[in-house]
Amino acid sequence: MTGDAVWYEAAQVVGITNALNVAADTLGALGAVDDAAAPVEARTLFAEIRDFYQSDDVPQGFRFIAHDPAYAADVWAATRHAFADNRLARRLKEALAFAVSMTSRSASGAAWHLSQMRRQGVSPRGVMEIVGVTQMFSSYTKIADTLQLEPDMGNIAPLDPSPAPGGR
Amino acid sequence: MPTVRLRAAAEYPPAAQKLFELSSSWFNYDFAEPPAMSRVMAWDIEFGGPHGRAMKRAMAPGEFTRGEKEMVAASVSGINACEY
Repeated sequence: MTGDAVWYEAAQVVGITNALNVAADTLGALGAVDDAAAPVEARTLFAEIRDFYQSDDVPQGFRFIAHDPAYAADVWAATRHAFADNRLARRLKEALAFAVSMTSRSASGAAWHLSQMRRQGVSPRGVMEIVGVTQMFSSYTKIADTLQLEPDMGNIAPLDPSPAPGGR
Repeated sequence: MPTVRLRAAAEYPPAAQKLFELSSSWFNYDFAEPPAMSRVMAWDIEFGGPHGRAMKRAMAPGEFTRGEKEMVAASVSGINACEY
């Protein structure tokens, strides 16, 4: 996990997962866009999402934001990019998203990313490894915050001297 | 500013010194003083001991590597807005 690039990728997964969970867990009052009544742009989007996840389902967050198909398409493009295999494998990215969903108490996000972790080949044992890390760091962070501890381990990792992508 | 006065390692009893050695070995880093969190957890060995063992068990390499688990831990810390 050395070099900054993998951390940028992880941050993208954390951010977009939280964004999708925020929509999925709060926008029920908007009503979900249903395929049958959806405009062609939304149906095309849902088809892409199903294909990416190899699932009959479309995450509820996308159904809520698909009331504005152009906006939803941009969110999807960012999501697809964040979750695609890159320096980090999709298997780990789904594990990160599962941990984020657990931590933010998103039952719908946790269920979705649990199913995706399994689809990526993570065993029940592997799932429990992520549960353990998530739970223990949910304890660790709250103890540190309660005692207002100041960071003292931030400089034990080496700095990455490489430029931004495309830079020098 | 921490809510408590973080004791120097030398102020802890021998059982805690053992925890500090384990901590240094776990992070593979020679700290001048054990990390603040290690000193907090060593305050009460009856809590810090099992908590630390559960943490070590959770972070041990398995289906996911230690590095991957550190990344999961960083993500959890980020969502919890924990600066430490």
